[in-house]
Amino acid sequence: MRERKITLLGPEGTNLSIFFLFLVFNFISWFTLFVLSEGIELNFNNILIRQIIFSLISFLVFFSITYISIENIRQFIDSLFVIITILLAILLRTTPKAGVRRWFDLGPIDFQPSEFAKVITVLFIANYLTKRKSRYPLFLFLGFILMLILMQPDLGTSIIIGFVILTMIFVSEVKIRYLVLIALLVVTFFFVFLESGLINENQLNRINDFFSANDDFQQSQSKLLISSGSLFGQYFELNKLEKVFVPVETTDFIFAAYSYNFGFIGVVFILTMWLLFFFRLGQIINISNSDFEKFVITGFVTLLAFQIIVNISTISGLLPLTGLPFPLLSLGGSSMVSTAIIFGITNRIFIENNLVI
Amino acid sequence: MFLRNRFNYLALLFISYFIFIIINFFSLQILNINDSIEKIDQQTYDVFYLSAPRGEIYDANKEKLVTSSLEPHLFINLRKINDDNIVQYKQYLKYNFKDLKNSDFEDIFNSKELLYLIRNINDLDYLERQSLLELDAFEIFDYPIRQYNFGNIASHIIGYIGRPTLEDFEAYPESIRNGIVGKSGVEKYYEEKLSGIAGQIVFKGTEIIDFTSPQPGEDLYLTIDIKTQRIATESLLEGIKLANENFDSENIIQKGSIVVMDIDSGAVVSMVSLPDFDPNKFVKGISSFDFDQLNRIDAFNNFAIQGLYPPGSVFKLVAYWLAENEGLFPEGISSRNNTLKCEGKLSFSFNDGSQQVYNDWKENGHGNVDLSSAIQQSCNVYFWDIALKIWRTYEGSSNESILQEYARNLGFGKITEIDLPYEKAGVVPDRKLFEDWTITKPELVRPEGWLGGDLMNLIVGQGAITTTPIQIANAYKTLLTGYSSAPYFDKNKDNIQKMKNNNINDEFIEFLLDDLNLVTNKNGTAYYAFEVLGSKASDIGGKTGTAQNPGDKNSTSWFAGVDSVSNPRYVIVTVVDEGGSGSAVAAPISRRVIQHLIGVDLTPVKFGEITE
Repeated sequence: MRERKITLLGPEGTNLSIFFLFLVFNFISWFTLFVLSEGIELNFNNILIRQIIFSLISFLVFFSITYISIENIRQFIDSLFVIITILLAILLRTTPKAGVRRWFDLGPIDFQPSEFAKVITVLFIANYLTKRKSRYPLFLFLGFILMLILMQPDLGTSIIIGFVILTMIFVSEVKIRYLVLIALLVVTFFFVFLESGLINENQLNRINDFFSANDDFQQSQSKLLISSGSLFGQYFELNKLEKVFVPVETTDFIFAAYSYNFGFIGVVFILTMWLLFFFRLGQIINISNSDFEKFVITGFVTLLAFQIIVNISTISGLLPLTGLPFPLLSLGGSSMVSTAIIFGITNRIFIENNLVI
Repeated sequence: MFLRNRFNYLALLFISYFIFIIINFFSLQILNINDSIEKIDQQTYDVFYLSAPRGEIYDANKEKLVTSSLEPHLFINLRKINDDNIVQYKQYLKYNFKDLKNSDFEDIFNSKELLYLIRNINDLDYLERQSLLELDAFEIFDYPIRQYNFGNIASHIIGYIGRPTLEDFEAYPESIRNGIVGKSGVEKYYEEKLSGIAGQIVFKGTEIIDFTSPQPGEDLYLTIDIKTQRIATESLLEGIKLANENFDSENIIQKGSIVVMDIDSGAVVSMVSLPDFDPNKFVKGISSFDFDQLNRIDAFNNFAIQGLYPPGSVFKLVAYWLAENEGLFPEGISSRNNTLKCEGKLSFSFNDGSQQVYNDWKENGHGNVDLSSAIQQSCNVYFWDIALKIWRTYEGSSNESILQEYARNLGFGKITEIDLPYEKAGVVPDRKLFEDWTITKPELVRPEGWLGGDLMNLIVGQGAITTTPIQIANAYKTLLTGYSSAPYFDKNKDNIQKMKNNNINDEFIEFLLDDLNLVTNKNGTAYYAFEVLGSKASDIGGKTGTAQNPGDKNSTSWFAGVDSVSNPRYVIVTVVDEGGSGSAVAAPISRRVIQHLIGVDLTPVKFGEITE
C-alpha cells in the first residue's frame, strides 16, 4: 500500500476533479431531462424523477468503490467475468421484448447486463494482459462474450466492446501484424453473423441505406433538430418543432435534443468537459507504475470516448444508426450505474496514486 | 508491457475526432441554419398512428386472462388511390375477399384517413401476402388483437375497452393515438400501464418514409384466482335461480355480487357481479342493440363496488364492536355474558313522551340472549336496546354519533380505494346528514330530522344507511385482523401499507370469531345452509343479513363470513339483490364458495331456512 497525503470525502479520499466532472455530467442530464419532461409529477414514470433516482444510486456506487482497493478488484475480476458471462447466457433464454433479449425485467426497472459487461471486460483484459503470457485463451473468452451480446442482438454494444478489445491489445506488446489479423477475424466474424441472420432486418436496412447514400429519415430529422439549436439553443419556436420527428429523444437521441435546447455553446461545453476528463485520465499513464492501471485507463477512455463518438456520429448522420446511449446523459439506470463504476474505479486509481485534485 | 507511444497515437485519434465533431456541429448549427429553416418549412409530413398491443393480464397463478397478439393486417394507403385506379382496387378486393361487404367499401374509400385497415390477413399464406404487396397502395402492418380468454368470467374486474372520447383523451393523451382506451375495470384503472405507445408511420406525400414500431404496454398480474372466480360465479347464478323459484317476487331476481378477499393482505381473490357481459364483444365494437340490452339490466355495473344496499344484520358487528370496546350494553347489562329476555318486541318511550313498539323478526322472541347469542340468532331487540341506551345517554351531545364514528372507522361512508374505477362510497346517516338532506333531498327525511328511531334503524343496518359489498368485506377483515388497508387487485401491491386499529385486540378477535362460528352451527341463522359440511361446519363462521328495502322491493340477502375460524384465510361476502332472507339464499351460495376455498367436494346450492 502506498501512503496517502490527504484524504477528502470518503475513507481513502476522493479525487476532486473526477468527482466534480461526475457531478457536472449528472446535472447536465437532469437539466436536459427537465426540459424534455412535460411537468414534474412525483412518480417513477416521470423521466426526470427516474433519472434523479438513478443518479442517486450511481453516487452511492461511486463512493462505495472508494472502499475497494485496486488489488481487491484484481482478485475478483475473473469471477466477475464468469458471472456476467453466465448472466448474458441466461438472458438469451428469456422471452424477447420488442424483438431483442437485452434486459432482465425487474418490475419498475430493467437490468441490462451488457452495460456491465463492457466495464468488466476492460478490467478482465487489463488483468489478463499484466498476468499471463499466452494470449490465445483471452481471445477465446472475449470471442464468447462478444458472441453472446451479438446474439441478443445488440450490434452497438458488440462493436464498442470489439473496438475496446482491439485498442487494449494494440497498446500492449502485440505485433501490429497480429492486430491486423485479429481485426480481420473480427470483421469476418461480423459478416458471419450478418449472414446467419442474427442482425435484425431493421439494422441491416439502416446499414444498407447508409452505404447506398439514402438519407435515413430519422437521421435527417435529428440533424434538423440539432441545427435548429443554433448558437444559444432553441432557435425555432415550438410550433415549427412539431414538424420534426425525432424518435427516443430521452435515450439514444438525447444528444440531438440537448443540442437543440442548448445550442452550439452547449455542445462545445459538454465536449470540453469530456475532453478535460480524458486528459485527467491520461495523466495516470504518465504517473502510475502499474501496467494494470494503465491498461484499465486506456480501456475506460476508449470505452467512453468511442461511445460518445459513435453516438454523436450516428445522430448527425456520419455513421449508420446503431442505437447506443450517451454516457451519463441518456435516460437509463444500467448505463448510469455502469458509468458510475468507471468513474469510481478511476477515482480509486487516482487516490492510490496520491492525486486528490 | 504497456506501450505508451501507442497510447499517444490513440489519444491523437480521439482528439482529432472530437475536433471533427465540433466542426461538424459548427457547420450544422451556425453555417447551415438558414438551410435548415427552409427544410423544416418545406417539410410536409403526415403521421398515421398504429395501435400498440396493450399489456396482457394474468391471474395469481399466472393463468393468462387477457391475451394480446400481433397479427398481420392489410391496410390501404388512401393517398395512392385516385380516380384512375379506384375501380381496379375495388375489384381486386371484391374478388379476393368475399367477406367484405359493399358498405365496407364505402367506409374504406370515403375515409379521410391516410391508411385504412381492411382486414386481418392471418389466414393468408406467405405467397398470398406477397402478391398483395405487389399492388402499390397495399401495406401490411402488424395490428394488435385483444382476447378475453374467460369471456364473462371476471368481466367486471377486467373491464372492457373502446374508442377514446374527449374525456378519455384528456385523462390519457396517448389513447387517441392508440385509438383504444380502457373503459372500465382494471383496463381503465391501469390504462397508462397497459396502453403502450402507438407506432408512427410517417408519410411524405403519398409515400411512407418512416416507420417506428409501437411499444407494447406492460403486463398486469392480478391477485384473483380464476378458478375461484368461476366457482363463485356459478354459485351465485345457482343461488339466484333458486331464489327465483322459491319467491314470488314482483321483479325477477338477477342482480348479486360476491367478494372473496385474502384476510391478511386485502388482496381480492374473487369478485363477482351479476349480470355480467363478455368483454370480447367490445373488441370489434359492440352493436348498439347488444349494448342497450346489457345496459338495461345494469350488466356494466360492478355491484361489488357500486351496489349500494342497506346492510341489515351483517352491520350488527359494528355495534358488537362498540359494545365490547365501550362497555356499552343494553340497559341493566354490564358485560357480554349478562342476558336480556327477548320477547319478540321492544316497547319503550322517548323523552318527548312518544310511545313506540318495535317488533323483532322472530315473533315469539329469542328467549334469554347475551351478546354472543344476539349475533348467533340475529336478535334485533338486543341491539335496539343498545341504540336506545346510546340515545338516552348521549342525545344531542357529541357522543350521539358514537355508532356512526365506529362505522366510519371501519370504512363505511367512504370508498375503500380499491384499484377499480367508479367505486361508490355509500352513506352513514347522522343528524348532520339529515339536516343537509332537508335542503338537498327533502323527500328522503321527515321534518322532525334525526330521531332516536333512526339510530335504532341504523344499529341493525336499516334506514338511510347504504354500503357496498366490498366495504362489508373490508370492514370484516379489519375487525378480524385488527389491521385496515385498501383492498387491491394489482399483485405489485402485495406489500401495501396496513394500519393497526388500536381498538381491536386479539382477545376481541377471538370472541368475534367464536360468535361468528355460532351462526353457522346449531341454533345459528346459517345452520341449515352449512349443515351439509358436516363436521367441517364447526370451523366456519359468518353472519347473515336480510335488509328490508323501501317500497315493494324484496329484501336484500346478505352473508358475510370467513372460511375458517381456527385459521381464517379469506373473508367472503355475498349479496343477492331482492334475494330475500340471508339465511335462505346468500348463506348457501357462500357455503359452496367456501367448500372450494377449504378444498372439499362442491355440493349444489340448496335453498336454506328463511329467518329474519
